[in-house]
Amino acid sequence: MNDEHSLLVRIKQHDQQALAEVYDQYFDQLYRYLNYRLGESDVAADLTGEVFLALVQTLKNGKPPRTSLTGWLYTVARNLAADYIRQKTRTVSLVDELVADEPSLTDQIYLSELVPMLRKALLELTEEQQHVIALRFGQGLSLAETAELLEKSVGAVKALQHRALASLARFMPEEMQHDR
Amino acid sequence: MTDSFETILDESISALQSGVPIEEILAEVPEYAGQLRPMLYAATVLTDPNPALVPEERKTALRSEYMKQLIELPKLPLPTFGEKMQAGVRVARRRLTRESLLKDLTTIIITFTLTLLMVVLTINYLSLDTVPGDFLYGAKRISESIQLSAAFSEDGRAALEEIFNQRRLVELEQLLEQNKAAVIQFRGKVETRGEDLWIVAKHTILLPGDVVIDPDIQEGDMVEVIGLLRTNNVLVADTIKLVR
Repeated sequence: MNDEHSLLVRIKQHDQQALAEVYDQYFDQLYRYLNYRLGESDVAADLTGEVFLALVQTLKNGKPPRTSLTGWLYTVARNLAADYIRQKTRTVSLVDELVADEPSLTDQIYLSELVPMLRKALLELTEEQQHVIALRFGQGLSLAETAELLEKSVGAVKALQHRALASLARFMPEEMQHDR
Repeated sequence: MTDSFETILDESISALQSGVPIEEILAEVPEYAGQLRPMLYAATVLTDPNPALVPEERKTALRSEYMKQLIELPKLPLPTFGEKMQAGVRVARRRLTRESLLKDLTTIIITFTLTLLMVVLTINYLSLDTVPGDFLYGAKRISESIQLSAAFSEDGRAALEEIFNQRRLVELEQLLEQNKAAVIQFRGKVETRGEDLWIVAKHTILLPGDVVIDPDIQEGDMVEVIGLLRTNNVLVADTIKLVR
């Protein structure tokens, strides 16, 4: 946290060394976040680059991030992801498309087969729920860390996580809905 | 119900992320198993254990583009003391809105009131066992005066006066035991009414030449005595008033 604060102070002075450190420190995690949200590695890489260009642009405009550098970077990444998803026209109803074929096993191999289906189902959630799921399960952030990034209470994030998983549970195969 | 389920869900997710099998987690909370199972499977599917990274070449290319943009960014000098002060004033001005002032004022008033209440209650508690001449005795009498003025009825007031008078008599006994000199005040029945000595509430009182006494007082009357208790345990009256 102190490191982040000192980094923020330095980038406000346009310290190039600090700005290079920001890139090296945040590139991978922002890429993972965007790749998780979009499921398209090339697009995610491009958008990650855009997050950092946005940082340069905002410094040029004299409006640097105020209090949280991490929060600012994730907000930009989140907005870029939301814009991209919005622009990508989806005419097919995902609900019809996402019904799983009679599964036989719930082992790890079978679960991995569900990944593409559930990733599509993610797009049925509200943008905020998608953001929470990406931070909690894509980034592996704790509830408290997620709450800090969202500037919300832990209780609010818990509720968002609950609603998101309850919606996604509807897409799970029949055998995972009942006692085994 | 929802809140507790949200908490159970989150604890289950934490267990899942620590490697506990889903069915083992569900066995701990069988009443929620049906609701939890599909959510935990969804959480398992959504967890990305080995996230892919950008190929190094691509990453380097993107970094070069970023660094190129940085060159165009002029380095800003460190703010001077004056600029820091101006920034501080700007921040203060932004903060000093009517709403923030009102909020701060409310907080100050509430904090002040609660602190004052705590201090008053503490002093009141500490003054309970004091006798005339002690440092906190005044606080004890002020507290009694407040209670008397806040009495709802005459009966209530009379009952309080009786309680407080019993305290005065107890204090007088304590002073006599400790051979302390103090100004005393108490009420009691006149048991004996002599030339220079009276007995009021079983206490012998010496009447000096300049004592002020209500003229109508008879034996058996209720009186209020104000006087001085000397260190030799002689009680010298200053005023004796009839209590009507």
